[in-house]
Amino acid sequence: MDLYRRRELLLILVNRNLKIRYKNSTLGFFWSLLTPVLFILIYGIFAHILGFSKTRPDYLEFLIVGIVVWQFLAMCLNDSLGVILGNANLIKKTSFPRFILPLAMVIANLINFLLTLVVLFAYLLAVHMTFGNLAILPAVLLAQCALCLGTGLILATTNVFFRDTEHILSILVLAWFFLTPVFYPIDKQMAFLPADLNWLAFLNPMTGIVCGYRAALMSDGVAFLHLTWISLGVTLLILIAGVAFFQRMASRLADEM
Amino acid sequence: MTKTFRLRQGGTPTLKSMALDILRGGRLKRDFLALKDVTFSVRHGETLGIIGANGAGKSTLLSIITGTMSPTSGTVTTHGSISSLLELGAGFHPDLTGRENVFLNGAIMGLSRKQMRDRFDAIVQFAGIGDFIDQPVKHYSSGMYVRLGFAVAVEIDPDILLIDEVLAVGDSDFQQKCLQKMRDFRERGKTMLIISHDLKTIQSVSDRILLLDSGSILGMGDPANVIDEYQSLTRKRNARLIEREWGTGEVKITGVSLLDGTGVKTDRFKWGAPLEAVISYHAEGCIVQPVFGFSISDEGGRVIYGNNTQIEKFDIPRIEGDGSIALTLEKIAMAKGTYRVSFSVHSADHKINYHRLDNKYTIDVESDKAFEGYCYMPIKWGR
Repeated sequence: MDLYRRRELLLILVNRNLKIRYKNSTLGFFWSLLTPVLFILIYGIFAHILGFSKTRPDYLEFLIVGIVVWQFLAMCLNDSLGVILGNANLIKKTSFPRFILPLAMVIANLINFLLTLVVLFAYLLAVHMTFGNLAILPAVLLAQCALCLGTGLILATTNVFFRDTEHILSILVLAWFFLTPVFYPIDKQMAFLPADLNWLAFLNPMTGIVCGYRAALMSDGVAFLHLTWISLGVTLLILIAGVAFFQRMASRLADEM
Repeated sequence: MTKTFRLRQGGTPTLKSMALDILRGGRLKRDFLALKDVTFSVRHGETLGIIGANGAGKSTLLSIITGTMSPTSGTVTTHGSISSLLELGAGFHPDLTGRENVFLNGAIMGLSRKQMRDRFDAIVQFAGIGDFIDQPVKHYSSGMYVRLGFAVAVEIDPDILLIDEVLAVGDSDFQQKCLQKMRDFRERGKTMLIISHDLKTIQSVSDRILLLDSGSILGMGDPANVIDEYQSLTRKRNARLIEREWGTGEVKITGVSLLDGTGVKTDRFKWGAPLEAVISYHAEGCIVQPVFGFSISDEGGRVIYGNNTQIEKFDIPRIEGDGSIALTLEKIAMAKGTYRVSFSVHSADHKINYHRLDNKYTIDVESDKAFEGYCYMPIKWGR
C-alpha cells in the first residue's frame, strides 16, 4: 500500500509533531504529564464538592483513568483542526498522500498517551490496584485510535471548507465530555435510562472505550462490557465515514487554501 | 486539461454568510477558468520554459503537474520522479531546523533516510548556509531559504524538475550556480519545466517555450520566436492601457505613418538611425496657425522628449481639408527600450486642443550602445 511506501515520511511527520508541540515552551514534554494532572486536580475538587468522590472508595483512580483516556481524544480533536490548515505550505506546494498528515497527528498523540499510560500503570501498581483482564487493553487502545483518526479526518477536512468548525467544536467537545462517564460512574448515567434501553448510552463510542479501559485497568464495570460492542460498531462507522470523506475531499484541499 | 476555480464572494463560508446565502436564494458563485483546454507534451530530456503575464495560469499548471492540485477535467501523465520548487522554501516548517526540513522534504519526495544522508553534505554545500543548517529556518534570510529549497530540489536528483520563478531571487552569484546546475541537469538528459519572467535567462536555458495567456496556450515552440510574440503582446497591452484620444475635432489627425530612414513603415528602430513620421490630418473649415507636436515617453510614462512646430518656428499659416505634415528625427538618441509616441494638434495659444493621440504609437529602439540614462548626447573624449 502507498502508506507503507511512505512510512519514512510518516515517521518524520510524527517526529515533527512531537517536537513542535512543546518546542517553544519552557517545561516542554512535561506538559503532556502536567496537563492531565492539573485536569485531575480540578475535576477532583469539583467532584468532591458535588459528592461524587464518595460514590466509591477508589474514586481518585477511577477519575485518573477517565481523564487520561479522555485527554488522548481531546488532544486529537484539538490538533485535527490544524492538521490540514496548519500545513498549508506542504499541501499547496508538495505532493504526497494527504492521509499521512492526520495519521501522523494521531500517532504523535498516541505516543504521548502511551507515555502517560506508563506513568498511570506505575501509579496503579503503587496503589496496589487489582487489574482486570489486561488483554482488553490493546483492543480498546486500537478502538480509541480508530475513533481519534475517524473524527480527526472529518474535522480536519471540514475546517478547511467551513472555518466555523473550530468554534462549534469546543462546544461539542464539552457536551461530549459530559456525556461520557469520565468523572461520574456509568451507573449514574444508567439510572436515567430504562433498564432495557441502557445500551443507548453506548452509542457514544467514548462510553464504551472508557468503560473498556476501566474494565482492564481496575476491573470496573465488567457487567457492562458486552455493551461496548455497540461503541465499537459506532467507532468503526465513524472511521469508515472519516476515511471516505477525507479521500473524497483530498484533491480539493489545495484549491481552498 | 482544464482547471476551474470556484470563486466565492468573501472567502470561506461562515455561519453568517450561509444564513445570508439562504435568504438571498443561493450563494454568489463565479467560476474562474485558470486553464482552458491546455494540451501539450514535453519530451524526455527537454527543457520547457513557461512564460506569460501574472495570472496567466503558469503556477496553476505546475501545481497540477506536481500533483498538489487536480485538474477539473483532463489528465496529466508523467513518467519518472518529480521534484518541484513551486515557491521559495516550499514545504519548510519554520520551527524545524534546516537539517530537519531537508529530511522532511526528502521524505515528501519519497527518498529514504539513507538516500538523504548520502546527499545531505552536497545539499548543505550547494546551499552555502554552513552552520545555519542546525538553526530553525524561521531565522533564515530569504536568500538562505531559497538556496536551501533549490539545493534540496536539485540534489534529490529527480527525473523531472519543476521550477517556479526562483531565479528571480537570490544574489547573482547564486543565480549563476543555479543556472549551472540547470545546465548540468539538461546535459544529463533530465526533463525540466521552468517558469520565469526573466526572458533572457529562460531563452538561454529552454529548448522550447510555452506562452500562456489567460489560461490558454498562445504559442509554443522556438524560444526566440515565442518570446518575441510575448513581447509584442505585452507592448500592445501596455500601450492600450494609457492610450487616449481626445480633442475638439476641428482638426483631426487621421493617421500617422512611422518610417525608417528608407521610407519603410516600422515600429522597430535602430539607435542612431533616423525616424520619420508622416502625420495626415483633416481640417473642418479653415484653421489658422495650428501647432503640430509630438512627444516620446518611456514605459514608465516619463516624457523623454517632446517638441512642436511652434518651438521649432515652423510656421503653418492655415490649413483646410486634407493634408499632411512630415516630421524627421535625424538620429534616435534614446537608450534601448520600448517607447510610446503621442501626436497632437492644437491652437497657437494652447487653449484649444483640436486633436490629441496620447501614447497611441509604440516603438522599440534597439541599440548596441550601452550608455547610462535615458538618452545619448554626442560627446568626444580627448587627451
